Amino acid sequence: MPASIRRRLMLLILTSIVLIWGIALISSYLQAKREVSEWEEARLAEIAQILALLDQRNLTTLANARIDLREEEQGGEAGANDSDDDDALPRDALFQVRGANGEVLAGSPRLRALQAWDLPVPPASGAQNMTLGGEAWHTFTLRDTALGHTVRVFEPANTRSDLVSGVASRIARPTLVALPVLALLVWFSIGWSLAPLKVLSGAIRARDINRLEPVDIGRAPTEVRPLVDAINLVLSRLQHSIERERAFTADAAHELKTPLAAIKVQAQVALAEPDAALQRVAMERVVQGVDRSARLAEQLLLLARLDVHEKLSTAPLKPAAVAKDALLANERNAQQKNIHVTLTGDMRAEINAEPVLMGILLDNLLDNAIKYGRRGGSIEVAVRREVGRVQLTVRDDGPGVAPGDLARLTNRFFRATGNQATGSGLGLSIVARIAEHFGASLHLGSGIGEQGLAVAVSFPAYTGDED
Amino acid sequence: MRVLLVEDDDLIGCGIEAGLRQAGFTVDWARDGHKASLALDTTAYALVVLDLGLPRVSGMDLLKRLRDAGKDVPVLVLTARGTVVDRVGGLEAGADDYLGKPFDLTELIARCRALLRRAQGRSIELIRYQDLTVNPAAQTVEIGNTRVPLTSREWAILMQLLTNQGIPQSRSRLEESLYGWQEEIESNAIEVHVSNLRKKLGAKLIRTVRNIGYVVEKA
Repeated sequence: MPASIRRRLMLLILTSIVLIWGIALISSYLQAKREVSEWEEARLAEIAQILALLDQRNLTTLANARIDLREEEQGGEAGANDSDDDDALPRDALFQVRGANGEVLAGSPRLRALQAWDLPVPPASGAQNMTLGGEAWHTFTLRDTALGHTVRVFEPANTRSDLVSGVASRIARPTLVALPVLALLVWFSIGWSLAPLKVLSGAIRARDINRLEPVDIGRAPTEVRPLVDAINLVLSRLQHSIERERAFTADAAHELKTPLAAIKVQAQVALAEPDAALQRVAMERVVQGVDRSARLAEQLLLLARLDVHEKLSTAPLKPAAVAKDALLANERNAQQKNIHVTLTGDMRAEINAEPVLMGILLDNLLDNAIKYGRRGGSIEVAVRREVGRVQLTVRDDGPGVAPGDLARLTNRFFRATGNQATGSGLGLSIVARIAEHFGASLHLGSGIGEQGLAVAVSFPAYTGDED
Repeated sequence: MRVLLVEDDDLIGCGIEAGLRQAGFTVDWARDGHKASLALDTTAYALVVLDLGLPRVSGMDLLKRLRDAGKDVPVLVLTARGTVVDRVGGLEAGADDYLGKPFDLTELIARCRALLRRAQGRSIELIRYQDLTVNPAAQTVEIGNTRVPLTSREWAILMQLLTNQGIPQSRSRLEESLYGWQEEIESNAIEVHVSNLRKKLGAKLIRTVRNIGYVVEKA
């Protein structure tokens, strides 16, 4: 069964109520019992005093009659017979009066049957409990100093507990009736209090993926407010991410259309071209266009994968070593533009990264530097160890980027104005995303001799078991 | 027919250039808005094919500048952003037609022809002049029912004169329509081509206007 706030609250509230009521009931019962006991004792003492005042004749008459304490108690209101606290059994009080020399003046004959006729008399006045004939009895002894009589009154103990249980049940009865009513009220109160949650869940369920404005359920209680706020926060983040996704898809589609247009145009030129050599040129350009689309698709896939935020397994690696590989891979392109590429700095510095992504990062930086660099110019790749960080810098001496465009350089699909090279404008945004992945910071500035572009990526240094 | 192509993408640019050349146009290709605007200031083009996503000066700005300067050269706009808003924006900024990427090269050329035709005040593709039937799309000239073969230069001069009937065309104007930026202008070439045209199509078709150039009189 799933956890239910209503059920849990019901359980807690009703258990607490029953517990508190139980304690109250027990303490009332004990209190009542004590009071009844005191009262009974006082009454026995009273009867003893009356008996002490009676003369021999009256005592004998009384001894042979029965004293039913129930009549004594109820007195005038005998008609109003409340069965609750009525004693079910007759409450015969027995007595014995002795003279100054200990001789029995009068006594209830039943005492003989209970073998209590010759019980020794306690030396002082007071109450006493004892067992007679297998039953518990209360007794009260009164020594009348004036006449020298000793009066002893006996009463079965069960009569008193009957009275007490009557009091207890009188207290408990309304409680037992109240409990289900209370449970019902609590049930409905909880339901009513939880209603905003139901409204909220309805509002969220009705939400459509295209309609992500904040949830508004009117005056939400303070307990529900944080939940509504949290949901709205998630919704706004979701909206933001969906918008970004849509913009990205639109940009990507737009970017893909350009090489497709080129392929189509070139293919149509080839089809219409009667000259075989020119036809061949056009077909080669078709292939170039396909390569470009393929590269673009690869870059888009890479960005999409980087967006998933999956935790990549990283390992300590040397940026200089990765740079060496990237240099080799881009050597041909550099030679074509007669660009001199150098790698300097700390060859042993290590960072914590993933080798394939690190390779893509360096490849993109070098590819950009060669593409946008000056023909016959140079590119410097440097690895520098700093306090707690390792900085990787790729600098060129090409035309560089206008200061106004620097900040937008890592935006997806952004291509700086005036650039002639073919590209999608994704390279640096990929670099930025990879750097972000490894906790590195990206800085763009001017390149060699205040010319060209410098891209510096500052990684946290690997501080494992080096040195 | 000299056309200015404004396109920043190398592959698309050279494709369109080749396609337009195949269709008999003389093409100048500007790779950014700045160069395009210089070209427009110095040369009279019959048509501009303009890509909107340009570096430096955006295609839209270029178009507005062109129209503000009072030039009514027909402009065909190319763009990858084919939304209605983009199209309406382009047309309102003064474009005459609109083509979304990726486009069909034959459609691009057909639209270019249609724009030229409309600019010349014709509603059908064929140009009829006396007993001459000229088909610009097929690049054919017929006298009666006989096809007359023309070289591309002769064709270009004939088209320039036929589409500007009654307006004398100077030698330099004719040269402009003949040669793109990369081509070397041959001296006396115009005279040679005109005399060839006269031989092929009849001496009376093209009249020499002394000290100015040549004209095909209004039909």
